Amino acid sequence: MSGGTLAAVTFEIVRNRLLAVTEEMRVTLQSVSGSPTVTEASDFFTGLYVNGGEFATMGLQVTHEAPAVGALIRHLEAHRPVADGDMFIANDPYIGALHQNDVQMAVPIHWGEDRVAWAGVMAHETDVGGMEFASWCPAATEVYQEGLRIPAVKLVDRGVLREDVLEMIVAASRLPAALELDIRAFVATLNVARARVVELIGSYGRGTVGEVMAWMIDTTEHDTEDRLAALPDATVHVRDFLEHDGHEDTLHAVDLMATKRGRRLLLDFSGSSPQARGFINATRSGLHGGVTGALIPTLGFGLRWNAGLLRPVTITAPDGLICTAVHPAPVGAATVETIWTVTNVVQRALNLLAGGSEAFASRSQGVSSGTMATFNLGGVSQFGERFGLHLLDPLGGGSGGFAERDGVDAGGPVAVPVPAIADVESNEQVSPLFYLYRRLAPETGGPGRHRGGNSAEIAVTLRGVESGDAIVMTHGAEVPNSVGLFGGWPGTTVRQRFSTAEERATGRPPRPLGPKPGRIPMVPGDVFSVTWQGGGGWGDPLDREPTSVADDVRRDLLSVRTAAEVYGVVLVEGQVDTVATARHREELRRARLAAATAPPPAGAEDADASLRYALGDHLRVVGAGGKVTVRTSAGAVLSRAAAGWRQGAAALSVDPGARGISLHPELAMTAYYCPVSGAQLAVDVHRRDEEPGDDLVFDIGERVPGP
Amino acid sequence: MATTWIDVGTDVGGTFTDLWVRASDDRQAVVKVPTTPDIVSGLFEGLGGCAGALGLSLEELLGRVRRFGHGTTVGLNALLTGAGASVALVTTSGFRDTIEIGRLKRQVTGLTEMEITDVTNRGRRPPIVGRERVLEVVERVDRDGVVVVPLEERAMEQVVDALAGLDVDAVAVCTLWSVANPVHERMLAEAIAERRPGLFVCMSHEVARTVGEYARASTTVANALLGPVMGRYMEALEGRLRGAGLGAPLHVMTSLGGMAGSELVTREPVAALLSGPAACVMASHQVGRRAGRRQLLSIDVGGTSFDVGMVVDDAALTRRELSIGGVDIHRPSVDVATIGAGGGSVARVRDGVLVVGPESAGAVPGPACYGRGGQQPTVTDADLVLGTLVTGQLASGGLALSRELAAQAIEREVAGPLGMSLMDAAWGIRKVLDSNMAGVLRRVTIERGHDPRQFLLLANGGMGPTHAWALCADLGIPQFLVAPTATVQSAVGAGTLDLRASAERTCYARSGPGAPLDDHAQARLDAELSAALEAALAKLPAARTAAWSCRCFVAVRYRGQAHALDVAIGSGFGPPRPCDRELLARFEDEYEVLFGAGSQFKRAGFEVLSVRADVLVRLKGGVPSGALTAHRHLEEVGERTVVFDDPSRPLECPVWSATVPPPGRVLEGPCLVAYPGQTLVVPPGAVGAADDDGNVLVTLDATAGASLVGTAESAVA
Repeated sequence: MSGGTLAAVTFEIVRNRLLAVTEEMRVTLQSVSGSPTVTEASDFFTGLYVNGGEFATMGLQVTHEAPAVGALIRHLEAHRPVADGDMFIANDPYIGALHQNDVQMAVPIHWGEDRVAWAGVMAHETDVGGMEFASWCPAATEVYQEGLRIPAVKLVDRGVLREDVLEMIVAASRLPAALELDIRAFVATLNVARARVVELIGSYGRGTVGEVMAWMIDTTEHDTEDRLAALPDATVHVRDFLEHDGHEDTLHAVDLMATKRGRRLLLDFSGSSPQARGFINATRSGLHGGVTGALIPTLGFGLRWNAGLLRPVTITAPDGLICTAVHPAPVGAATVETIWTVTNVVQRALNLLAGGSEAFASRSQGVSSGTMATFNLGGVSQFGERFGLHLLDPLGGGSGGFAERDGVDAGGPVAVPVPAIADVESNEQVSPLFYLYRRLAPETGGPGRHRGGNSAEIAVTLRGVESGDAIVMTHGAEVPNSVGLFGGWPGTTVRQRFSTAEERATGRPPRPLGPKPGRIPMVPGDVFSVTWQGGGGWGDPLDREPTSVADDVRRDLLSVRTAAEVYGVVLVEGQVDTVATARHREELRRARLAAATAPPPAGAEDADASLRYALGDHLRVVGAGGKVTVRTSAGAVLSRAAAGWRQGAAALSVDPGARGISLHPELAMTAYYCPVSGAQLAVDVHRRDEEPGDDLVFDIGERVPGP
Repeated sequence: MATTWIDVGTDVGGTFTDLWVRASDDRQAVVKVPTTPDIVSGLFEGLGGCAGALGLSLEELLGRVRRFGHGTTVGLNALLTGAGASVALVTTSGFRDTIEIGRLKRQVTGLTEMEITDVTNRGRRPPIVGRERVLEVVERVDRDGVVVVPLEERAMEQVVDALAGLDVDAVAVCTLWSVANPVHERMLAEAIAERRPGLFVCMSHEVARTVGEYARASTTVANALLGPVMGRYMEALEGRLRGAGLGAPLHVMTSLGGMAGSELVTREPVAALLSGPAACVMASHQVGRRAGRRQLLSIDVGGTSFDVGMVVDDAALTRRELSIGGVDIHRPSVDVATIGAGGGSVARVRDGVLVVGPESAGAVPGPACYGRGGQQPTVTDADLVLGTLVTGQLASGGLALSRELAAQAIEREVAGPLGMSLMDAAWGIRKVLDSNMAGVLRRVTIERGHDPRQFLLLANGGMGPTHAWALCADLGIPQFLVAPTATVQSAVGAGTLDLRASAERTCYARSGPGAPLDDHAQARLDAELSAALEAALAKLPAARTAAWSCRCFVAVRYRGQAHALDVAIGSGFGPPRPCDRELLARFEDEYEVLFGAGSQFKRAGFEVLSVRADVLVRLKGGVPSGALTAHRHLEEVGERTVVFDDPSRPLECPVWSATVPPPGRVLEGPCLVAYPGQTLVVPPGAVGAADDDGNVLVTLDATAGASLVGTAESAVA
């Protein structure tokens, strides 16, 4: 080999080998693990890290978890002596985990005296102790009540597994065998990673392997910066909510002010609510996880996923907020509550920016599956054994509508790149669950030119046992988190219902459950049913291709009535009546304007109408310098600055009940229309006592563009 | 010498149709022709070529055929292009969307890792059957097979009436827990067959007897979709062959790696989806077994894909599920790992790094050296520049390869942008491709706990014999074997393999920590094993009159796991055996081999999920043996300059021409051996030796320390 000139070849080979090692880690973990979260839903993380904790590779797993083991590695480097052959275990959300269910392990990879790299693994464990089964404890007010907390403990000491430590850890769990099987799977996974990377160093040298890992991160950083540079310079202000802290039905906001300048992105969460009393909080590591969960899938398409995606991004927020809770705030439900909501706002901000850019407008998308309603079932199984089931079916919400096509039905969250749920038969085989249905729920996707994906829904009872305990909780039963883009509607809110066997016998309709009913004792014949959130729609539903509306009707995903009411499409025996549809759509647009409050006309157009940015189908930012206006496709001038277009649009407070959306008492929804054409420009969810502000303001006109 | 019988093997691929014939008088021939849209006419052109090579007319050839084996991608193509029949699915009320939802994983099934990073790629493929063609029927069976909601006569009538409005050619019936009790599926299928006799109807408990309604439904619908297509194709093929004088039975290659009667493939076309790759692995298994080896790696390097199969302890590895064109299929198949890498893989520079594949230049325009307008450099171009390639594809029709065009493309697209010399760039292209292929080999060996140094590599496909030496060096595999017909190894398989069938039964049982299965579970296991064996035998009518043997497996896992291991009862094929008491202990042993010492976890307890029976009926024939000694040929035809490990130091080496090398001949490396359709590269320090069967066994220089495994082990220790 002739050395330096062939570095390009060596790098590609070493990179592919590192990716293969990461893949092998995944296979090992999934094969050995006994947790459905790992084996089915890929709710776990495997990766290789450079010194300092940045990840150089990761599997295609739950992206929230990407930065978490890195935080543990930094903690170990700062506070613990680390020797070749050691392995460490941890799950402390105040150090690096998202909540205590996320058990993490890390192993240093040495070459001689040098530590060259780290390998890390992490997965959601069904139970790590605490007040309630599954360690989700709605009644908790302190982290001490939420199960075993392991800051960073040596589990393998120079190659020897410390059985005493392992025993202590699994003794804290209601499902010790499952936890032990997984921890052994972690050890196997890290053994594989360490051996393979050492082999690689043996072949290519310590320097080369280290260089390639650093180069991989640098390359992705550079690509990410290029991508940011292609987005317009702008400020985005978006807010999402979550309700019920486990104690009371309170409303909490996650507020994001995102500033994109040049090749950098600043994410400021300072406007978020203070930390809550109950378990919905996230620690700062949770905030980083939530941000990563949106950044990677939204900006990282076609790139090698590693810490380079995070480098151009700065995250800021003071301590003590719902997304930066301080010790000893409870955080047991962080992943499905605040972290999930953080992902929603970052996803939305990035999609607004993409929508305003020429390069990426075709990729913009409404919010996908803005919630994860959890259902855990515990008790004694049909085999007479203590069991716990963490049901993954709730991943089956709808994904957001895309600029170029509909969202995917039961597409699930974007933060999970390879989602999967178990077969009905598999769940029935190993647990006492018995399904009455698992199907798509029609009309749950947010209406839009491209509608959001419809959610799935299930109804379950028990069979073959005397009783069981369900733990049921969600956010998004009274908040439409899966909001749309550019005039698309949000998807429906979560509907959780329950009937006892007696109630069903008397024909009573199922009782709606609130967002967090907590523990529900169940016996065979009792039925729990749930419909998750549909995805957010993209664009005005009155612009939807009428034949697509007819297709949805043909597929029983839309009623003829909704086709007419929401989409303005008139069907005659399943076929589109083109003339009647055009007429009906025009009537609906006029009806919008008749009901809405319209401001006085903003006057004549300016001469310079050169297009700067298009936002969806109907909003245009035109002009230059101090003469910027925001207009609609029909020529109405809404604003004579980059900001404030909502003040110039026709506004209508909308009652979303008919669209399957329940609202928390403190929330309201407002739709904005073009005052000339009646085209729907935005559908906003906001606090009842506040007017929606600007969500996207470009750096033009009165502002000076950043560096 | 009179030709008393002829064995024919054929394999229809997407681009080429491969044929192999062997006559009783010791002659064999390989032919490659372009695949035609109707397939049959291309096949007959190839058969004409075979007849010509043996000096016979087509009718003379077919009249003397003793066995005729056929592998085809008809089913595969229909699935990939959606050109199958119009299908409806009948299923349990409440579960209409099983396939739409597809366990959520359907939306990314079949995507590459890079495609998965892009969320806009999700759910682009429509479901194999849309919800508007799924009919729900009120009925329900539970996990124990107990009927919870009976299937009413009226409900069946409604379904049959609804079918009339759907304009379908085929119906798949898949109800929940039909594997525990198929009574409702049978009632539905009978009702449909009675009222709509023209339809192709299949039931999930027959097509894919497994727990898990998504894979079962998906497989059953795929089967229904292919049923009418495959039926028509088999009828046309058999009709023309019989018309042209074929008297021998027509056998079809299946994904299981054995032959089946054409009637089985007509009824269960999903059985034959991956016939080509399976045939290659199983043909390699025969070749390797004759060479006395039990641990084999079979590689197939073609133009666009690199396939790897494995034989461990004299048994080819199989898998339960595969994904084709975004459709998840549950069907036991020879386990073949595939990546997009081959002679046609395109090389380019991205982010300052040399990337090779997975895009391929295909047959048109093909590599730059073909002179058909291809502008992008490929691996074939690199091989030509490096001197390791002497012959092109047989089907290129003796096309002269242009080294100049190859060099220009590499200069322009790779060497220039990277500031490298032409030779460095060509060497780099080969090195990256070889490394990607070695990655697959590493995945199937080291990652599964197998030591590659214990394996013999069998190099197949047009490019396999050219690249095998580099793969062996990378993984520390000491020897590789090249058959004289390696370039059409799948066709050889179709012409030589035995009849084979497989059937499954579900059988759920649990045992507590460290405890054996109780007597009740053991008795059920034996009963289900017998039932599986019976079902497998029913798929092979030949077993009624011929001797058969079987091999049975039990799927076991630790309690709570999602993945099970197939644990064999007894070793190899033999008479039926009851399930022994050592089953769980063997599971733990195999588990430890796979996941490392100390990974056993007795405290978890065990779960038994299902059983499977494979049945084998031997056919006459097999790979050409040492008896074939005439018509052998090997001679030195020249010299050329070839780059092996160092692009700055090319070596002069002899070039040999061969058909079947005579036994005992020794080929000292470095040298090249040009066969029809393949070039064997024997690197410096290696020695090739021709065996009685005409294979060349190449032993790499044991003293050259290129083995990563060797270095790695010393590093770990």
